[in-house]
Amino acid sequence: MSYEKLFETNISSESAKAWKASGKKAVGYVCCHVPTEIILAADIMPVRLRATNCVDSSDAEAWMSSFSCSYARSILQYLMNGTYDLDGLVQSDGCMMATRILDNWEHIAKKNSKSQLIHQIGAPRITTDISVGYYKEELKTLADKLGEFSGKKVTDEALKAAVAKTNEVRDLIAQLSELRNEAKVSGTEALRIMLAYCDLAIDEYIAALKEFLADAKGRAPIKARARLMMIGSALDNPEYIKVIEDKGGLVVADDLCFGVKSFGDKIVVDDKDVLGSVADYYLKRNTCPRMLDNRPAIHKEIVDACKKYSVQGVIYEKMQNCECWGGEAYYLEPDLKAAGVPMLQVEREEQMANAGQLAIRAEAFVEMIEK
Amino acid sequence: MAKAPVQNFDPTQPVNMIDLTCKQVDSIYQHMLSKGMPEVMWTVDIQKFTWEEIRDAQAAGKKLIAFGGPVPVTIMRAFDCVPFFLDTIPTRIASMEDLCGRYIDETEKYAPTSMCAIDKAQLGCALKGEFGIKIDAFVHATVPCDSARIAYPMMERLFGCPCFTFDCPFRHDDKGYEYLADQIQAFIPFMEELTGMKWDAARYEKFKEITIESNKAYEILAQLGDLRKQVPCVLPGRMLVLNEIIAPLAGTPEVTSMLATQLEMGNMLTDMGMTATRCPDGQQPYRVCLMQNMLWSNTGIMDWMEKTYGAITVMDGFGYQDGVIFEDLDNWQSVKLQLAKSMLLVPMIHGATGPTEYWLKTIDKMYEDYKVNVSIFMGHVGCKHTWASGKIVTDYIQEKYGIPTLYVDVDAIDPRYKSNDELRAQIGEYMESVVGAENFCK
Repeated sequence: MSYEKLFETNISSESAKAWKASGKKAVGYVCCHVPTEIILAADIMPVRLRATNCVDSSDAEAWMSSFSCSYARSILQYLMNGTYDLDGLVQSDGCMMATRILDNWEHIAKKNSKSQLIHQIGAPRITTDISVGYYKEELKTLADKLGEFSGKKVTDEALKAAVAKTNEVRDLIAQLSELRNEAKVSGTEALRIMLAYCDLAIDEYIAALKEFLADAKGRAPIKARARLMMIGSALDNPEYIKVIEDKGGLVVADDLCFGVKSFGDKIVVDDKDVLGSVADYYLKRNTCPRMLDNRPAIHKEIVDACKKYSVQGVIYEKMQNCECWGGEAYYLEPDLKAAGVPMLQVEREEQMANAGQLAIRAEAFVEMIEK
Repeated sequence: MAKAPVQNFDPTQPVNMIDLTCKQVDSIYQHMLSKGMPEVMWTVDIQKFTWEEIRDAQAAGKKLIAFGGPVPVTIMRAFDCVPFFLDTIPTRIASMEDLCGRYIDETEKYAPTSMCAIDKAQLGCALKGEFGIKIDAFVHATVPCDSARIAYPMMERLFGCPCFTFDCPFRHDDKGYEYLADQIQAFIPFMEELTGMKWDAARYEKFKEITIESNKAYEILAQLGDLRKQVPCVLPGRMLVLNEIIAPLAGTPEVTSMLATQLEMGNMLTDMGMTATRCPDGQQPYRVCLMQNMLWSNTGIMDWMEKTYGAITVMDGFGYQDGVIFEDLDNWQSVKLQLAKSMLLVPMIHGATGPTEYWLKTIDKMYEDYKVNVSIFMGHVGCKHTWASGKIVTDYIQEKYGIPTLYVDVDAIDPRYKSNDELRAQIGEYMESVVGAENFCK
């Protein structure tokens, strides 16, 4: 069994270190509108930055203030304290908090004479032909910059090869979702597995995940009191789900940007416009309400997922100071109610400071569903 | 016995926001008339025009277009529509605790308390259905911030009218201007469909006339900026608030006239060696820059700083106006690019919506040109992305200009966040212990 690495929650730099030892580059990225395929096509290892288990972000707080989102702040902390030791940072302006990770890190790295590739992609917030065109140009600039940085130009062939790999991962994650539906994999395990994708080289990840899926298929279903779905702000802490599952819930589905949303459906490549296909895919998929025109579509996907996975209750977690996910309840709650699915709203911080309160609320929610 | 708070409306009845505002402004107008204050009537004339134009739009056969963020208002006016800047609701009611609280509390039932109160107040008014007018269309941008990105899509659904969204690029560069210019082109058919009018030669002529008028207003605004650069600064800090009204009114003779009167008075004061500030004996040892938002919930704090320390607010970071003067008006391709550029140069957008380096550029313009020697980060708590750039910006000010910055957390709209006394104590302590200012009121 060599898939234990899929369950390592702490940020692991082993894979990136091994990659860099072969003379190649590894760069961090933040947010769902950075296509990893372009980074891979430049023969650079993409490392999705996260803040899991960050217990003290006070250095970063001095830069971003206490009015910032603790997830973004904690990522900056990990950059500052060397938890991440990468060759650069690529980011899209997912939300304004994420944007400031890059601004501050660029400033701090410069101050400390730390050589870094820093690049911000402007990702549109509406989906039109004009905006897809603009985004494609942004991705072209990124591809050129990364190609120059790594010494390996991003070609259509390299991009197609990268898409083939990420599509394989998407296929495996779809199988994982099926196992969740059959209650053979818990929500806690699933999030751990999906988080591992952030740190591992893609071939290593594919091999480990294949092995796990083969094993997990033979498992007996987990007995649970309520089948739940998690939605909301960036959740990169499996312990949060564990608190809920310890109270009898089973998180069988999610709509999280570190969960299934970061994988999504397969990319269909048009050979005549490979980069355009990638741009079209990333801008049109519904990962996060950062877009202004995708809210009804996101709500529909959540309701549809509730039906597909026989969800009995939705837990909507909102990170303090996360505005993107702040206002969905007004329209989503009636939609869920119409589908007969109750929703629990909880606020949280990156640090697991309120586990006891969460446990009580989760237990009450599970009991309410059981009745 | 504590004084009972002023009641601005009957809480047992639905509020008609526009009607209430028109009545309040009219009451100020009548009061000033009765007191015989002709020299300052222009400050209320413009408010009267603003609100009554909105109230009476449809009666005058015009479409009323609510808008949020930077949008091309001159095009709307060319189509004979009345633009209604939704931000004017929160900034207008910010000093009214009961009314402001009514809308903010309504929004907080459904959205996070951390959301910007500018958006909370206007969204709350929409949720309660209390604008008191029919909105014919809603046009908004994807900036300034994540709070607006909660509010605008919700308001689209609440208004249930035709909507258009301008996606503002993250970077304000040539590629970004072209991106926005393409959207301006796409906006034309939207306006044609909304109004039933054609973007023909006659319409374009009207647009040019409005743009020429708008140019006049921005030229005067630049001259007013120059006036504020003078030592002493003849215009009070308060005037910065009034001048923000240019956003919905650019292209109207009324706003040009208001700015022209202000300039005339400023020049007259300069000639007479006087100022309209409250600084004792015209002494202005301190020139303050409020480097974040304007504190609409307590604009009186600027009067207090003038009176107490002779500290005149010469500029505020987000109100800083850097408008585009349009050229080559017969060339629509060029005009579209200029419009795009101007949309990204409006207050709150120019310094705060892109990379932090844009804010640093605005800081340089303000601190050098306006000879700032007191720096205050009057940090609106809802403006989290600017807080998250705070240290970069204040370190920059310290290193380049040698000025330490005071951080004060405030809510620019919700007066319940911090009392006047507490705010005065924080600023006062800084002025006396760090700046070394003399308290003229002691």
